Amino acid sequence: MAKEQKFFLPYHLIKSRASHFLSPTKLSTVFRFMLYRTNAKSLFITSALISWSLLLANVLLAAESMDRENSNALDLPFVNNLLIVVFIISVFGFQRMSAENLKGIDFIGYLWNIFAKGGIAAYLSIALYMVYRMVTNYSSVQSPLLLHMVYQVNFGLLVLFLAKAFYVWRQLILYHKNKFLQIAWDWYEILLFATLILTLLNFNYSSLIFLPLLGLIGIYTLFLCTNLKWVAYLTFNKKGRSLILLVAILLACYIFTDFFLGFADSPLLVIDYSDVGFLLLTMFFVALYTLASFLVALFSLPTSSVFEQKSEDLLNFQRLSQSIQQGQSEKQVYEMLFESTVKASDASAAWLEIFKGEKKEEIEIFHQLTIEEEQIKRIRHLLLAYNIQHIDYINNNLDRNPGFRDLTLPWKSLIILPVKSKKHQFGVLYLLKDIEQGFDRETVNVLRTFTNQTILTIENLRLVHESLQNERYKEELKIASVVQDSLIPKKFPSDSWFEISTYAKAAKEVGGDFYDFLQLSESRIAIIIGDVSGKGISAAFHMAQMKGIFHGLMQQDMPPSEFMKQANSALSRCLEKTSFITSALYIIDYRMKGFMFARAGHCHTLYYNSMMDDTFYFQTDGLGLGIIRDKSYNNHVREMYYDYNPTDVMVIYTDGIVEARSPTNEEYGEDRLRYMLTQTYHLEAEDIKYAIINDLEDFTGTTDNLYDDQTLLVIKFKPTQPSE
Amino acid sequence: MKITNQIKDTTIIITLDGELDASSSVMLDEALSDPEIMTYSKILVDCKDLNYISSAGLGVFISHLQRFEDAQIKLIFYNMQDKVRNVFEILGLDLLMTIVSDYEEAMTIADE
Repeated sequence: MAKEQKFFLPYHLIKSRASHFLSPTKLSTVFRFMLYRTNAKSLFITSALISWSLLLANVLLAAESMDRENSNALDLPFVNNLLIVVFIISVFGFQRMSAENLKGIDFIGYLWNIFAKGGIAAYLSIALYMVYRMVTNYSSVQSPLLLHMVYQVNFGLLVLFLAKAFYVWRQLILYHKNKFLQIAWDWYEILLFATLILTLLNFNYSSLIFLPLLGLIGIYTLFLCTNLKWVAYLTFNKKGRSLILLVAILLACYIFTDFFLGFADSPLLVIDYSDVGFLLLTMFFVALYTLASFLVALFSLPTSSVFEQKSEDLLNFQRLSQSIQQGQSEKQVYEMLFESTVKASDASAAWLEIFKGEKKEEIEIFHQLTIEEEQIKRIRHLLLAYNIQHIDYINNNLDRNPGFRDLTLPWKSLIILPVKSKKHQFGVLYLLKDIEQGFDRETVNVLRTFTNQTILTIENLRLVHESLQNERYKEELKIASVVQDSLIPKKFPSDSWFEISTYAKAAKEVGGDFYDFLQLSESRIAIIIGDVSGKGISAAFHMAQMKGIFHGLMQQDMPPSEFMKQANSALSRCLEKTSFITSALYIIDYRMKGFMFARAGHCHTLYYNSMMDDTFYFQTDGLGLGIIRDKSYNNHVREMYYDYNPTDVMVIYTDGIVEARSPTNEEYGEDRLRYMLTQTYHLEAEDIKYAIINDLEDFTGTTDNLYDDQTLLVIKFKPTQPSE
Repeated sequence: MKITNQIKDTTIIITLDGELDASSSVMLDEALSDPEIMTYSKILVDCKDLNYISSAGLGVFISHLQRFEDAQIKLIFYNMQDKVRNVFEILGLDLLMTIVSDYEEAMTIADE
């Protein structure tokens, strides 16, 4: 308890030191657990040492008295038995605690563990006994004390060996366990430890009553000994090594059994450990399991290569499928395919062709294995003649085919595996073997699985690559979007003559809608709106171009119709064949209280005349820019002059507004737009704009996917007169 | 979008069914780019079931307009829905292209 408290007191210390790794509460639990484990371990060691020493003292005392009084009995049999049981439980408990969970499949390590820590004990014990015999032989003095000492030490070593072996075997039996096996084992352990009670009560286990029970335990043990799954995971080499270790362990079992049975019922000893049923049963279990392992390992030796091959195939397969995460290149994937298939089929020669481009003629011999370029050429030539160079093809007896016989190749079997998906042919794999019937169905299936996995991997690699590329494009598009945004004026000159409010929303990152203005003189301003056909990057480029044309031409201050003619002529030279631009240009003259405008295929201008209290569209003719690319365009554009009244409202927009769709696929339309203006003309320009946009959004519903760019400009002429 | 061709002597009738947007206008462009189309003297476009035409769709007709004119092939639209016709009119294409109300009228103009 005191130790536990220590861990709770310096809480802040623990926190400050290790908080990056684990949370403090978790940490303290771990520590407490470790503390518990180390405490229990040291407790077991102490109790084992004490009980063994006491036992030794007791036995030596009894031997001494036996020597003197010639009575062949222990003074305190129950105390003695208790000490034996405590010792056994301590040692087994210690081993149980130190047995770690299986990590990986290093079974040799476990066997070595038994041998090094337990088996050595047996050889030590026999060496000890030899030394004792030599000493007694030389001095020809019978020393019962020394014999008892040796016997006692050997007993300790035996229990150590058994405990070690018992718990290592437990790990191996429970390898790939299921619930049933776990329960069976737990009961087996309980049953075995229960036999210690017999020893404690000084019952003779070999009496008739216990025979059926012993038989049952024997059968139980036999059943457990059939769980040898781990042996299957040993490779050929490892099996060989484990056979040696198993023999050594078996030998250790034999030495111990021989030693203790040899001293059974010996008149020289005051104590007989062969009477402890538990030891006999555990020895039986350990020996039987070792023997079973040995036999299974021995008889599975010839088949282990098959298992090895399969597990290697699986491993290669895994490598292939994981190569995407590991960021491998196509080349490395092909390399893997080549190595894996050659290994899986045990081919004596092979080569892999990869198609470089889309055309099948451009091939690259990617890998070669013990085959000359000249031979490849000849085989390819022959296959071309048979017209089977790119299809699945197996020939398990090349000598029977006259064409191949003439080539005098050293191989007798050939398989051709195209590496292709439905859309793409990536390459062809050729495998050759120097024996007839070299490629059986099993092997072919494995090879096909490999090629299929490769295709999948390659296609995934390309997809990953593509998506990365797309990501980059998206980034660049974002930049383009920012650049384009800067092309559109955010602020119009605030003037007391009119107020203007704008709205623009692009369907994609960059759009084809635009508007701009240019102050021509103190009292005149030019406003342009336009829409480039199509969307996206090309539209954005043309839009920028149009902005340039607007600023370039309008420096010379020309009437709108003239501007359209010149703009058409300029655009004719640079616009794509299928592209055109619709535009409308307005030149507002405050002093004259009028505006002049021309329409080039752009949406009709919506107007509210306050004098007549009427809303209408200006119905003027005008052909879009870039549709006719010669002088004849000049006949297709009209100019109009209109005198405005204060509080008149002009709504300029692009087709994205009137062609916006509702969820039921209806268009917003000119009529609804006009109706909106009749309801809102008395508001300020900003509020008219919001009213229209809100109505539009109500109509289209909340869709993120805009069908077309939307632009809206609301201009309201003010009633106030200039101060001048 | 469905584009079907029907041939009557030296006249080819192209029927457009659905919405002519950016993606389907590629199909139309392919149909109009077919060199065989230059062997006819009249191209009639039935727009009865054309519900929508985008600027890309218009662009396809515009891009082929000059070529047909040069080859003296008549391009005539008929059975056009009002809203589609409105798109043609706004852009000013009604003055550039021949748009008539029905098939009979289209045939009589074509035979002129």
